[in-house]
Amino acid sequence: MTQSLTMSRRASPSRISRTLRRRANLGMIYVCVTALVMVMLIPVGWMLSTSFKPLKDVFQIPPRWIPEVITFQNYAAQFNEVLGTLTLNSLIVAVCAAALSTFVGAMTAYGISRFRFRGGPVLMLFFMGSLAFPVPLIMISLYGLFVKLGLLNTYAALVLGHTAITIPVSIWLLKNFFDQLPREVEEAAYVDGATPLKVFVFIVLPMARPALAASAIFVFVVSWNELLFGLTFTSTTDMRPLPAGITLIFLQEFEGAWSEMMALAVIVSVPVLVLFFFFQKTFLRGVTAGAVKG
Amino acid sequence: MYSIKRHPYFFMSLFAPALFLVGGLLLYPIVNGIWLSFTNASPLRPTTDFVGLGNYVYLFEDPQFWDVLGNTVFICSVSTIFCTVLGLIVALLLDSGIRFVGFFRAAVFQVWVVPWIVIAILWGWLFNDEWGIVNHFLRSIGVVEGQMAWLFETELAPWVVIFAYSWRAVPFVMVIALAALQGIPKEIQEAAEIDGAGYFNRLRHILLPLLQNIVMTAALLEAVRFLQEVTIPLVLTQGGPIGATNVLSLFTYKAAFTEWDFGLAAAAGTFWLVFVIIFAGIYNRVALRKSA
Repeated sequence: MTQSLTMSRRASPSRISRTLRRRANLGMIYVCVTALVMVMLIPVGWMLSTSFKPLKDVFQIPPRWIPEVITFQNYAAQFNEVLGTLTLNSLIVAVCAAALSTFVGAMTAYGISRFRFRGGPVLMLFFMGSLAFPVPLIMISLYGLFVKLGLLNTYAALVLGHTAITIPVSIWLLKNFFDQLPREVEEAAYVDGATPLKVFVFIVLPMARPALAASAIFVFVVSWNELLFGLTFTSTTDMRPLPAGITLIFLQEFEGAWSEMMALAVIVSVPVLVLFFFFQKTFLRGVTAGAVKG
Repeated sequence: MYSIKRHPYFFMSLFAPALFLVGGLLLYPIVNGIWLSFTNASPLRPTTDFVGLGNYVYLFEDPQFWDVLGNTVFICSVSTIFCTVLGLIVALLLDSGIRFVGFFRAAVFQVWVVPWIVIAILWGWLFNDEWGIVNHFLRSIGVVEGQMAWLFETELAPWVVIFAYSWRAVPFVMVIALAALQGIPKEIQEAAEIDGAGYFNRLRHILLPLLQNIVMTAALLEAVRFLQEVTIPLVLTQGGPIGATNVLSLFTYKAAFTEWDFGLAAAAGTFWLVFVIIFAGIYNRVALRKSA
Protein backbone atom coordinates (compact mmCIF):
# COMPACT_ATOMS: atom_id res chain seq x y z
CA MET A 1 0.00 0.00 0.00
CA THR A 2 2.61 2.53 1.09
CA GLN A 3 4.85 1.31 -1.66
CA SER A 4 2.30 1.99 -4.35
CA LEU A 5 1.64 5.43 -2.89
CA THR A 6 5.27 6.46 -3.06
CA MET A 7 5.49 4.96 -6.51
CA SER A 8 2.65 7.07 -7.77
CA ARG A 9 4.05 10.16 -6.08
CA ARG A 10 7.40 9.61 -7.64
CA ALA A 11 5.79 8.98 -11.01
CA SER A 12 3.88 12.23 -11.01
CA PRO A 13 6.51 14.44 -12.74
CA SER A 14 6.74 11.93 -15.56
CA ARG A 15 2.96 11.83 -15.75
CA ILE A 16 2.91 15.60 -16.18
CA SER A 17 5.44 15.35 -18.95
CA ARG A 18 3.35 12.60 -20.50
CA THR A 19 0.26 14.77 -20.58
CA LEU A 20 2.36 17.58 -22.00
CA ARG A 21 3.71 15.29 -24.66
CA ARG A 22 0.22 14.10 -25.44
CA ARG A 23 -0.93 17.71 -25.77
CA ALA A 24 1.96 18.43 -28.11
CA ASN A 25 1.14 15.31 -30.13
CA LEU A 26 -2.49 16.34 -30.34
CA GLY A 27 -1.39 19.76 -31.56
CA MET A 28 0.72 18.11 -34.26
CA ILE A 29 -2.25 15.99 -35.29
CA TYR A 30 -4.46 19.08 -35.63
CA VAL A 31 -1.80 20.68 -37.84
CA CYS A 32 -1.49 17.55 -40.00
CA VAL A 33 -5.25 17.09 -40.35
CA THR A 34 -5.83 20.73 -41.21
CA ALA A 35 -3.03 20.63 -43.76
CA LEU A 36 -4.34 17.43 -45.39
CA VAL A 37 -7.92 18.70 -45.50
CA MET A 38 -6.73 21.94 -47.06
CA VAL A 39 -4.73 20.08 -49.71
CA MET A 40 -7.88 18.08 -50.50
CA LEU A 41 -9.91 21.27 -50.85
CA ILE A 42 -7.36 23.35 -52.81
CA PRO A 43 -8.63 22.27 -56.24
CA VAL A 44 -12.20 23.24 -55.34
CA GLY A 45 -11.06 26.51 -53.81
CA TRP A 46 -9.01 27.40 -56.87
CA MET A 47 -11.97 26.61 -59.10
CA LEU A 48 -14.15 29.00 -57.09
CA SER A 49 -11.48 31.70 -56.95
CA THR A 50 -10.83 31.59 -60.70
CA SER A 51 -14.54 31.63 -61.52
CA PHE A 52 -14.97 35.06 -59.93
CA LYS A 53 -12.02 36.74 -61.68
CA PRO A 54 -12.12 38.79 -64.85
CA LEU A 55 -10.27 36.83 -67.54
CA LYS A 56 -7.22 39.13 -67.55
CA ASP A 57 -6.65 38.61 -63.79
CA VAL A 58 -6.58 34.84 -64.28
CA PHE A 59 -3.11 35.07 -65.80
CA GLN A 60 -1.57 37.12 -62.98
CA ILE A 61 1.73 35.94 -61.61
CA PRO A 62 1.97 35.31 -58.71
CA PRO A 63 -1.61 33.98 -58.63
CA ARG A 64 -3.97 35.56 -56.10
CA TRP A 65 -6.34 33.46 -54.01
CA ILE A 66 -8.68 36.33 -53.24
CA PRO A 67 -9.62 38.00 -56.54
CA GLU A 68 -8.65 41.65 -56.80
CA VAL A 69 -11.81 42.39 -58.70
CA ILE A 70 -14.82 40.14 -58.14
CA THR A 71 -17.05 39.67 -61.15
CA PHE A 72 -20.17 37.60 -61.77
CA GLN A 73 -19.79 38.04 -65.50
CA ASN A 74 -18.42 34.50 -65.96
CA TYR A 75 -21.55 33.05 -64.40
CA ALA A 76 -23.90 35.33 -66.26
CA ALA A 77 -22.30 34.22 -69.52
CA GLN A 78 -23.25 30.59 -68.77
CA PHE A 79 -26.95 31.23 -68.39
CA ASN A 80 -28.16 30.31 -71.81
CA GLU A 81 -30.74 27.98 -73.22
CA VAL A 82 -28.30 25.17 -74.05
CA LEU A 83 -26.92 24.81 -70.54
CA GLY A 84 -30.46 25.04 -69.17
CA THR A 85 -31.58 22.17 -71.41
CA LEU A 86 -28.58 20.02 -70.51
CA THR A 87 -29.10 20.60 -66.79
CA LEU A 88 -32.80 19.79 -67.02
CA ASN A 89 -32.02 16.59 -68.96
CA SER A 90 -29.50 15.53 -66.35
CA LEU A 91 -31.95 16.27 -63.54
CA ILE A 92 -34.78 14.29 -65.13
CA VAL A 93 -32.57 11.29 -65.90
CA ALA A 94 -30.88 11.29 -62.48
CA VAL A 95 -34.16 11.55 -60.55
CA CYS A 96 -35.84 8.82 -62.61
CA ALA A 97 -32.82 6.51 -62.37
CA ALA A 98 -32.59 7.11 -58.60
CA ALA A 99 -36.28 6.27 -58.15
CA LEU A 100 -36.23 3.20 -60.41
CA SER A 101 -32.99 1.73 -59.10
CA THR A 102 -33.90 2.32 -55.47
CA PHE A 103 -37.46 1.04 -55.70
CA VAL A 104 -36.69 -2.09 -57.70
CA GLY A 105 -33.57 -2.55 -55.59
CA ALA A 106 -35.64 -2.42 -52.40
CA MET A 107 -38.07 -5.08 -53.67
CA THR A 108 -35.26 -7.41 -54.70
CA ALA A 109 -33.29 -6.81 -51.53
CA TYR A 110 -36.34 -7.50 -49.38
CA GLY A 111 -37.01 -10.72 -51.27
CA ILE A 112 -33.44 -11.94 -50.81
CA SER A 113 -33.44 -10.91 -47.16
CA ARG A 114 -36.78 -12.43 -46.11
CA PHE A 115 -37.20 -15.50 -48.32
CA ARG A 116 -34.95 -18.43 -47.59
CA PHE A 117 -33.94 -19.95 -50.90
CA ARG A 118 -30.84 -21.42 -52.39
CA GLY A 119 -30.38 -18.81 -55.08
CA GLY A 120 -30.08 -15.92 -52.61
CA PRO A 121 -26.32 -15.99 -51.97
CA VAL A 122 -25.65 -16.76 -55.64
CA LEU A 123 -27.74 -13.74 -56.65
CA MET A 124 -25.81 -11.48 -54.26
CA LEU A 125 -22.53 -12.75 -55.67
CA PHE A 126 -23.78 -12.04 -59.19
CA PHE A 127 -24.85 -8.52 -58.25
CA MET A 128 -21.51 -7.70 -56.62
CA GLY A 129 -19.64 -9.23 -59.54
CA SER A 130 -21.67 -7.24 -62.04
CA LEU A 131 -19.99 -4.07 -60.74
CA ALA A 132 -16.94 -5.31 -62.63
CA PHE A 133 -18.84 -5.83 -65.92
CA PRO A 134 -17.06 -3.52 -68.38
CA VAL A 135 -19.51 -0.74 -69.21
CA PRO A 136 -18.40 -0.41 -72.87
CA LEU A 137 -18.95 -4.16 -73.31
CA ILE A 138 -22.48 -3.91 -71.92
CA MET A 139 -23.14 -0.86 -74.09
CA ILE A 140 -22.52 -2.81 -77.29
CA SER A 141 -25.50 -5.07 -76.72
CA LEU A 142 -27.60 -2.33 -75.12
CA TYR A 143 -27.08 -0.24 -78.24
CA GLY A 144 -28.55 -3.00 -80.41
CA LEU A 145 -31.37 -3.53 -77.92
CA PHE A 146 -32.27 0.17 -77.77
CA VAL A 147 -32.20 0.45 -81.56
CA LYS A 148 -34.69 -2.41 -81.78
CA LEU A 149 -36.93 -0.96 -79.08
CA GLY A 150 -36.73 2.52 -80.65
CA LEU A 151 -35.31 3.96 -77.44
CA LEU A 152 -32.25 5.70 -78.90
CA ASN A 153 -32.18 9.42 -78.15
CA THR A 154 -34.79 9.19 -75.37
CA TYR A 155 -34.55 9.72 -71.63
CA ALA A 156 -35.60 6.08 -71.21
CA ALA A 157 -32.36 4.80 -72.74
CA LEU A 158 -30.32 6.83 -70.25
CA VAL A 159 -32.51 5.98 -67.26
CA LEU A 160 -32.33 2.25 -68.06
CA GLY A 161 -28.58 2.40 -68.65
CA HIS A 162 -27.93 4.24 -65.39
CA THR A 163 -30.24 1.87 -63.53
CA ALA A 164 -28.32 -1.11 -64.90
CA ILE A 165 -24.98 0.11 -63.57
CA THR A 166 -26.31 1.21 -60.16
CA ILE A 167 -28.91 -1.38 -59.19
CA PRO A 168 -26.33 -3.85 -57.84
CA VAL A 169 -25.19 -1.27 -55.29
CA SER A 170 -28.78 -0.36 -54.41
CA ILE A 171 -29.62 -4.02 -53.79
CA TRP A 172 -26.48 -4.58 -51.74
CA LEU A 173 -27.08 -1.48 -49.59
CA LEU A 174 -30.72 -2.25 -48.94
CA LYS A 175 -30.21 -5.96 -48.32
CA ASN A 176 -27.67 -5.18 -45.61
CA PHE A 177 -30.17 -2.79 -44.08
CA PHE A 178 -33.08 -5.25 -44.18
CA ASP A 179 -30.90 -7.98 -42.68
CA GLN A 180 -30.34 -5.78 -39.64
CA LEU A 181 -33.95 -4.71 -39.26
CA PRO A 182 -35.65 -6.61 -36.40
CA ARG A 183 -38.34 -8.87 -37.82
CA GLU A 184 -40.68 -8.82 -34.82
CA VAL A 185 -42.63 -5.81 -36.06
CA GLU A 186 -43.24 -7.39 -39.45
CA GLU A 187 -44.17 -10.71 -37.93
CA ALA A 188 -46.61 -9.05 -35.53
CA ALA A 189 -48.30 -7.19 -38.36
CA TYR A 190 -48.46 -10.35 -40.42
CA VAL A 191 -50.02 -12.31 -37.55
CA ASP A 192 -52.56 -9.50 -37.18
CA GLY A 193 -53.68 -10.24 -40.72
CA ALA A 194 -51.78 -7.78 -42.92
CA THR A 195 -50.75 -9.21 -46.29
CA PRO A 196 -47.00 -9.47 -46.96
CA LEU A 197 -47.34 -6.72 -49.56
CA LYS A 198 -48.95 -4.38 -47.02
CA VAL A 199 -46.28 -5.21 -44.46
CA PHE A 200 -43.60 -4.35 -47.03
CA VAL A 201 -45.14 -1.10 -48.25
CA PHE A 202 -46.52 0.34 -45.01
CA ILE A 203 -44.12 -0.99 -42.39
CA VAL A 204 -40.79 -1.97 -43.92
CA LEU A 205 -40.30 0.82 -46.47
CA PRO A 206 -40.95 3.65 -43.99
CA MET A 207 -38.45 2.10 -41.58
CA ALA A 208 -35.89 1.82 -44.36
CA ARG A 209 -35.86 5.54 -45.15
CA PRO A 210 -32.15 6.14 -44.40
CA ALA A 211 -31.12 3.23 -46.62
CA LEU A 212 -33.53 4.26 -49.37
CA ALA A 213 -32.13 7.81 -49.22
CA ALA A 214 -28.55 6.51 -49.32
CA SER A 215 -29.34 4.41 -52.38
CA ALA A 216 -31.13 7.27 -54.14
CA ILE A 217 -28.26 9.69 -53.47
CA PHE A 218 -25.73 7.18 -54.74
CA VAL A 219 -27.66 6.59 -57.97
CA PHE A 220 -28.21 10.33 -58.46
CA VAL A 221 -24.49 11.04 -58.12
CA VAL A 222 -23.51 8.24 -60.52
CA SER A 223 -26.10 9.34 -63.05
CA TRP A 224 -25.00 12.98 -62.84
CA ASN A 225 -21.45 11.82 -63.62
CA GLU A 226 -22.10 9.34 -66.35
CA LEU A 227 -20.56 10.23 -69.71
CA LEU A 228 -20.55 7.26 -72.10
CA PHE A 229 -24.29 6.49 -72.23
CA GLY A 230 -24.93 10.18 -72.73
CA LEU A 231 -22.46 10.38 -75.62
CA THR A 232 -23.70 7.24 -77.35
CA PHE A 233 -27.42 6.85 -76.70
CA THR A 234 -28.43 10.45 -77.39
CA SER A 235 -27.86 12.35 -80.59
CA THR A 236 -29.50 15.75 -80.17
CA THR A 237 -28.89 18.56 -77.70
CA ASP A 238 -32.43 18.46 -76.34
CA MET A 239 -31.80 14.94 -74.98
CA ARG A 240 -28.15 15.20 -73.90
CA PRO A 241 -27.21 15.14 -70.23
CA LEU A 242 -24.56 17.53 -68.85
CA PRO A 243 -21.28 15.56 -69.13
CA ALA A 244 -21.89 14.56 -72.74
CA GLY A 245 -23.23 17.98 -73.70
CA ILE A 246 -20.29 19.80 -72.14
CA THR A 247 -17.80 17.47 -73.84
CA LEU A 248 -19.40 17.92 -77.25
CA ILE A 249 -20.52 21.53 -77.18
CA PHE A 250 -18.77 23.69 -74.60
CA LEU A 251 -15.16 22.54 -74.47
CA GLN A 252 -14.67 23.32 -78.14
CA GLU A 253 -15.84 26.91 -77.70
CA PHE A 254 -13.84 28.07 -74.70
CA GLU A 255 -10.23 28.18 -75.97
CA GLY A 256 -8.43 29.54 -72.93
CA ALA A 257 -11.36 31.37 -71.33
CA TRP A 258 -10.47 29.71 -68.04
CA SER A 259 -12.55 31.92 -65.78
CA GLU A 260 -15.70 31.07 -67.75
CA MET A 261 -14.81 27.38 -67.75
CA MET A 262 -14.41 27.43 -63.98
CA ALA A 263 -17.79 29.14 -63.65
CA LEU A 264 -19.31 26.38 -65.77
CA ALA A 265 -17.58 23.76 -63.62
CA VAL A 266 -18.98 25.35 -60.46
CA ILE A 267 -22.50 25.40 -61.90
CA VAL A 268 -22.29 21.72 -62.83
CA SER A 269 -20.99 20.79 -59.35
CA VAL A 270 -23.48 22.79 -57.32
CA PRO A 271 -26.51 20.44 -57.53
CA VAL A 272 -24.62 17.35 -56.31
CA LEU A 273 -22.52 19.27 -53.79
CA VAL A 274 -25.60 20.87 -52.25
CA LEU A 275 -27.58 17.61 -52.26
CA PHE A 276 -24.70 15.80 -50.62
CA PHE A 277 -24.07 18.59 -48.14
CA PHE A 278 -27.57 18.22 -46.73
CA PHE A 279 -27.84 14.43 -46.93
CA GLN A 280 -24.28 13.37 -46.10
CA LYS A 281 -25.23 12.20 -42.60
CA THR A 282 -28.22 10.22 -43.84
CA PHE A 283 -26.08 8.74 -46.57
CA LEU A 284 -23.39 7.66 -44.10
CA ARG A 285 -25.98 6.17 -41.78
CA GLY A 286 -27.50 4.16 -44.63
CA VAL A 287 -24.15 2.98 -45.94
CA THR A 288 -22.41 2.11 -42.69
CA ALA A 289 -25.44 0.20 -41.36
CA GLY A 290 -24.41 -2.64 -43.61
CA ALA A 291 -20.77 -1.96 -44.41
CA VAL A 292 -19.34 -2.38 -40.93
CA LYS A 293 -21.07 -5.68 -40.48
CA GLY A 294 -19.39 -6.73 -43.73
CA MET B 1 -39.29 -15.48 -42.60
CA TYR B 2 -41.52 -16.14 -45.60
CA SER B 3 -41.46 -19.38 -47.54
CA ILE B 4 -41.82 -19.52 -51.28
CA LYS B 5 -44.42 -22.28 -51.02
CA ARG B 6 -46.79 -20.21 -48.91
CA HIS B 7 -46.29 -16.89 -50.69
CA PRO B 8 -45.42 -17.70 -54.29
CA TYR B 9 -47.07 -14.60 -55.76
CA PHE B 10 -45.45 -12.21 -53.30
CA PHE B 11 -42.11 -13.85 -54.05
CA MET B 12 -42.59 -13.50 -57.78
CA SER B 13 -43.81 -9.93 -57.67
CA LEU B 14 -40.80 -8.88 -55.56
CA PHE B 15 -38.37 -10.34 -58.07
CA ALA B 16 -40.18 -9.70 -61.36
CA PRO B 17 -39.00 -6.11 -61.96
CA ALA B 18 -35.39 -6.92 -61.13
CA LEU B 19 -35.50 -10.05 -63.27
CA PHE B 20 -36.67 -7.90 -66.15
CA LEU B 21 -34.14 -5.09 -65.57
CA VAL B 22 -31.10 -7.10 -64.55
CA GLY B 23 -31.80 -9.82 -67.08
CA GLY B 24 -32.28 -7.40 -69.95
CA LEU B 25 -29.73 -4.75 -69.03
CA LEU B 26 -26.88 -6.73 -67.42
CA LEU B 27 -27.12 -10.48 -67.97
CA TYR B 28 -28.16 -10.45 -71.64
CA PRO B 29 -25.63 -7.74 -72.61
CA ILE B 30 -22.73 -9.51 -70.93
CA VAL B 31 -23.55 -12.94 -72.41
CA ASN B 32 -24.28 -11.48 -75.82
CA GLY B 33 -21.13 -9.34 -75.55
CA ILE B 34 -18.97 -12.39 -74.93
CA TRP B 35 -20.60 -14.11 -77.90
CA LEU B 36 -19.99 -11.07 -80.14
CA SER B 37 -16.28 -11.22 -79.30
CA PHE B 38 -16.10 -14.36 -81.47
CA THR B 39 -17.76 -12.64 -84.43
CA ASN B 40 -17.03 -9.78 -86.78
CA ALA B 41 -20.17 -7.90 -85.73
CA SER B 42 -20.40 -4.28 -86.80
CA PRO B 43 -23.32 -1.97 -87.55
CA LEU B 44 -21.47 -1.06 -90.75
CA ARG B 45 -21.67 -4.65 -92.02
CA PRO B 46 -24.91 -6.22 -93.23
CA THR B 47 -24.10 -9.73 -91.94
CA THR B 48 -22.29 -11.10 -88.90
CA ASP B 49 -19.97 -14.08 -89.22
CA PHE B 50 -18.35 -16.29 -86.65
CA VAL B 51 -14.58 -15.66 -86.66
CA GLY B 52 -13.44 -17.82 -83.76
CA LEU B 53 -10.53 -16.32 -81.86
CA GLY B 54 -9.74 -13.91 -84.68
CA ASN B 55 -10.44 -10.76 -82.66
CA TYR B 56 -8.31 -11.97 -79.77
CA VAL B 57 -5.41 -12.88 -82.07
CA TYR B 58 -5.66 -9.45 -83.68
CA LEU B 59 -5.65 -7.73 -80.27
CA PHE B 60 -2.66 -9.59 -78.91
CA GLU B 61 -0.64 -9.05 -82.06
CA ASP B 62 -1.31 -5.33 -81.87
CA PRO B 63 1.50 -3.59 -79.95
CA GLN B 64 -0.86 -0.68 -79.26
CA PHE B 65 -3.09 -2.98 -77.22
CA TRP B 66 -0.16 -4.00 -75.03
CA ASP B 67 0.63 -0.32 -74.46
CA VAL B 68 -2.99 0.20 -73.46
CA LEU B 69 -2.79 -2.68 -70.98
CA GLY B 70 0.45 -1.27 -69.55
CA ASN B 71 -1.06 2.20 -69.13
CA THR B 72 -4.19 0.76 -67.53
CA VAL B 73 -2.35 -1.36 -64.99
CA PHE B 74 0.04 1.48 -64.16
CA ILE B 75 -2.58 4.21 -63.75
CA CYS B 76 -5.08 2.04 -61.86
CA SER B 77 -2.63 0.39 -59.49
CA VAL B 78 -0.75 3.57 -58.57
CA SER B 79 -4.04 5.44 -58.07
CA THR B 80 -5.38 2.63 -55.88
CA ILE B 81 -2.25 2.59 -53.73
CA PHE B 82 -2.26 6.39 -53.38
CA CYS B 83 -5.91 6.70 -52.42
CA THR B 84 -5.79 3.76 -50.03
CA VAL B 85 -2.70 4.93 -48.17
CA LEU B 86 -3.84 8.56 -48.00
CA GLY B 87 -7.41 7.66 -47.05
CA LEU B 88 -6.12 5.38 -44.31
CA ILE B 89 -3.76 8.06 -42.96
CA VAL B 90 -6.54 10.66 -42.83
CA ALA B 91 -8.84 8.17 -41.08
CA LEU B 92 -6.17 7.28 -38.50
CA LEU B 93 -5.48 10.95 -37.82
CA LEU B 94 -9.17 11.68 -37.43
CA ASP B 95 -9.61 8.78 -35.01
CA SER B 96 -6.71 9.80 -32.76
CA GLY B 97 -8.85 11.65 -30.23
CA ILE B 98 -9.10 15.08 -31.83
CA ARG B 99 -12.27 17.14 -31.91
CA PHE B 100 -14.29 18.34 -34.91
CA VAL B 101 -14.01 14.87 -36.50
CA GLY B 102 -17.45 15.28 -38.05
CA PHE B 103 -16.48 18.61 -39.59
CA PHE B 104 -13.20 17.37 -41.10
CA ARG B 105 -14.83 14.19 -42.38
CA ALA B 106 -17.68 16.13 -43.97
CA ALA B 107 -15.26 18.57 -45.63
CA VAL B 108 -13.22 15.77 -47.21
CA PHE B 109 -16.25 13.63 -48.07
CA GLN B 110 -17.71 16.44 -50.21
CA VAL B 111 -14.88 15.81 -52.69
CA TRP B 112 -16.36 12.36 -53.34
CA VAL B 113 -19.26 13.88 -55.32
CA VAL B 114 -17.36 16.40 -57.46
CA PRO B 115 -18.44 15.35 -60.97
CA TRP B 116 -15.77 13.75 -63.17
CA ILE B 117 -16.47 16.17 -65.99
CA VAL B 118 -15.71 19.02 -63.58
CA ILE B 119 -12.46 17.33 -62.56
CA ALA B 120 -11.53 17.01 -66.23
CA ILE B 121 -12.02 20.76 -66.78
CA LEU B 122 -10.45 21.74 -63.47
CA TRP B 123 -7.38 19.52 -63.86
CA GLY B 124 -6.73 21.09 -67.26
CA TRP B 125 -6.50 24.44 -65.48
CA LEU B 126 -4.52 23.28 -62.42
CA PHE B 127 -1.96 21.54 -64.62
CA ASN B 128 -1.87 24.20 -67.33
CA ASP B 129 1.78 24.54 -68.33
CA GLU B 130 1.94 28.35 -68.36
CA TRP B 131 -0.62 29.57 -65.82
CA GLY B 132 -1.36 26.42 -63.82
CA ILE B 133 -1.17 26.67 -60.05
CA VAL B 134 0.70 23.35 -59.81
CA ASN B 135 3.58 24.61 -61.90
CA HIS B 136 3.53 27.89 -60.02
CA PHE B 137 3.79 26.03 -56.71
CA LEU B 138 6.62 23.81 -57.97
CA ARG B 139 8.51 26.88 -59.23
CA SER B 140 8.03 28.76 -55.97
CA ILE B 141 9.52 25.95 -53.89
CA GLY B 142 12.32 25.63 -56.44
CA VAL B 143 11.64 22.08 -57.61
CA VAL B 144 11.41 23.06 -61.25
CA GLU B 145 12.34 26.01 -63.36
CA GLY B 146 10.22 27.17 -66.23
CA GLN B 147 7.28 24.99 -67.19
CA MET B 148 6.37 21.37 -66.85
CA ALA B 149 4.19 20.44 -69.82
CA TRP B 150 2.02 18.10 -67.74
CA LEU B 151 -0.48 17.35 -70.47
CA PHE B 152 1.93 17.19 -73.38
CA GLU B 153 4.68 14.84 -72.20
CA THR B 154 4.24 11.10 -72.23
CA GLU B 155 5.92 10.63 -68.83
CA LEU B 156 3.84 13.33 -67.12
CA ALA B 157 0.32 12.92 -68.49
CA PRO B 158 -0.39 9.58 -66.72
CA TRP B 159 0.44 11.30 -63.43
CA VAL B 160 -2.16 13.98 -64.07
CA VAL B 161 -4.73 11.18 -64.44
CA ILE B 162 -3.40 9.41 -61.34
CA PHE B 163 -3.66 12.58 -59.24
CA ALA B 164 -7.25 13.06 -60.38
CA TYR B 165 -8.23 9.45 -59.59
CA SER B 166 -6.50 9.38 -56.20
CA TRP B 167 -7.88 12.76 -55.15
CA ARG B 168 -11.41 11.78 -55.97
CA ALA B 169 -11.17 8.37 -54.21
CA VAL B 170 -9.45 9.37 -50.95
CA PRO B 171 -12.75 10.35 -49.26
CA PHE B 172 -14.31 6.94 -49.93
CA VAL B 173 -11.43 5.01 -48.35
CA MET B 174 -11.32 7.52 -45.49
CA VAL B 175 -15.02 7.14 -44.68
CA ILE B 176 -14.91 3.33 -44.79
CA ALA B 177 -11.71 3.13 -42.71
CA LEU B 178 -12.99 5.67 -40.20
CA ALA B 179 -16.27 3.81 -39.73
CA ALA B 180 -14.30 0.60 -39.14
CA LEU B 181 -11.93 2.35 -36.72
CA GLN B 182 -14.81 3.78 -34.73
CA GLY B 183 -16.21 0.27 -34.46
CA ILE B 184 -13.09 -1.02 -32.67
CA PRO B 185 -13.74 -1.06 -28.90
CA LYS B 186 -11.63 1.59 -27.14
CA GLU B 187 -10.77 -0.92 -24.37
CA ILE B 188 -8.52 -2.89 -26.70
CA GLN B 189 -6.36 0.16 -27.39
CA GLU B 190 -6.36 1.30 -23.77
CA ALA B 191 -5.29 -2.12 -22.56
CA ALA B 192 -2.38 -2.12 -25.00
CA GLU B 193 -1.42 1.40 -23.96
CA ILE B 194 -1.34 0.44 -20.29
CA ASP B 195 0.88 -2.49 -21.22
CA GLY B 196 3.28 0.06 -22.63
CA ALA B 197 2.66 -0.29 -26.35
CA GLY B 198 3.51 2.94 -28.18
CA TYR B 199 1.31 4.30 -30.97
CA PHE B 200 3.17 2.66 -33.81
CA ASN B 201 3.21 -0.68 -32.05
CA ARG B 202 -0.53 -0.48 -31.49
CA LEU B 203 -0.96 0.53 -35.12
CA ARG B 204 1.05 -2.42 -36.38
CA HIS B 205 -0.26 -5.13 -34.08
CA ILE B 206 -3.84 -4.07 -33.37
CA LEU B 207 -5.31 -1.44 -35.69
CA LEU B 208 -3.95 -2.49 -39.06
CA PRO B 209 -4.77 -6.20 -38.65
CA LEU B 210 -8.30 -5.28 -37.57
CA LEU B 211 -8.71 -2.90 -40.51
CA GLN B 212 -7.06 -5.10 -43.10
CA ASN B 213 -10.09 -6.80 -44.62
CA ILE B 214 -12.33 -3.77 -44.84
CA VAL B 215 -9.62 -1.45 -46.21
CA MET B 216 -8.36 -4.01 -48.71
CA THR B 217 -11.95 -4.59 -49.89
CA ALA B 218 -12.42 -0.84 -50.32
CA ALA B 219 -9.16 -0.76 -52.32
CA LEU B 220 -10.41 -3.55 -54.61
CA LEU B 221 -13.70 -1.71 -55.17
CA GLU B 222 -11.77 1.44 -56.07
CA ALA B 223 -9.46 -0.47 -58.44
CA VAL B 224 -12.50 -1.88 -60.26
CA ARG B 225 -14.01 1.62 -60.39
CA PHE B 226 -10.78 3.07 -61.84
CA LEU B 227 -10.85 0.43 -64.59
CA GLN B 228 -14.36 1.62 -65.53
CA GLU B 229 -13.47 5.32 -65.36
CA VAL B 230 -13.24 7.02 -68.71
CA THR B 231 -14.11 10.73 -68.40
CA ILE B 232 -10.61 12.05 -67.64
CA PRO B 233 -8.80 10.17 -70.42
CA LEU B 234 -11.60 10.89 -72.88
CA VAL B 235 -12.15 14.59 -72.17
CA LEU B 236 -8.90 15.89 -70.69
CA THR B 237 -6.10 13.98 -72.40
CA GLN B 238 -7.99 12.25 -75.21
CA GLY B 239 -5.80 9.23 -74.60
CA GLY B 240 -2.70 11.23 -75.49
CA PRO B 241 -0.07 12.46 -75.73
CA ILE B 242 0.93 9.68 -78.16
CA GLY B 243 -1.35 7.20 -76.44
CA ALA B 244 0.23 7.67 -73.00
CA THR B 245 -3.13 7.83 -71.22
CA ASN B 246 -5.01 5.48 -73.54
CA VAL B 247 -6.55 3.04 -71.07
CA LEU B 248 -8.60 -0.10 -71.59
CA SER B 249 -11.96 1.59 -70.98
CA LEU B 250 -11.24 4.29 -73.56
CA PHE B 251 -9.79 1.80 -76.03
CA THR B 252 -12.84 -0.48 -75.77
CA TYR B 253 -15.30 2.40 -76.05
CA LYS B 254 -13.56 3.86 -79.08
CA ALA B 255 -13.28 0.48 -80.81
CA ALA B 256 -17.04 0.06 -80.37
CA PHE B 257 -18.45 3.51 -80.97
CA THR B 258 -15.85 5.41 -82.99
CA GLU B 259 -14.67 2.60 -85.24
CA TRP B 260 -17.93 0.63 -84.91
CA ASP B 261 -15.96 -2.62 -84.67
CA PHE B 262 -18.24 -4.37 -82.19
CA GLY B 263 -16.42 -7.70 -82.50
CA LEU B 264 -13.02 -6.29 -81.60
CA ALA B 265 -14.44 -4.10 -78.81
CA ALA B 266 -16.30 -7.10 -77.39
CA ALA B 267 -13.04 -9.08 -77.38
CA ALA B 268 -11.26 -6.26 -75.50
CA GLY B 269 -14.18 -6.04 -73.07
CA THR B 270 -14.27 -9.80 -72.53
CA PHE B 271 -10.54 -9.83 -71.90
CA TRP B 272 -11.05 -7.02 -69.36
CA LEU B 273 -13.80 -9.02 -67.62
CA VAL B 274 -11.70 -12.20 -67.43
CA PHE B 275 -8.74 -10.19 -66.17
CA VAL B 276 -10.80 -8.67 -63.35
CA ILE B 277 -12.26 -12.05 -62.32
CA ILE B 278 -8.84 -13.71 -62.16
CA PHE B 279 -7.31 -10.72 -60.40
CA ALA B 280 -10.11 -10.57 -57.81
CA GLY B 281 -9.75 -14.30 -57.18
CA ILE B 282 -6.02 -14.03 -56.48
CA TYR B 283 -6.49 -10.81 -54.50
CA ASN B 284 -9.12 -12.48 -52.35
CA ARG B 285 -6.61 -15.16 -51.35
CA VAL B 286 -3.57 -12.95 -50.88
CA ALA B 287 -4.87 -9.69 -49.43
CA LEU B 288 -7.79 -10.76 -47.29
CA ARG B 289 -7.43 -12.43 -43.94
CA LYS B 290 -9.65 -15.45 -43.44
CA SER B 291 -11.61 -15.23 -40.23
CA ALA B 292 -11.26 -18.41 -38.25
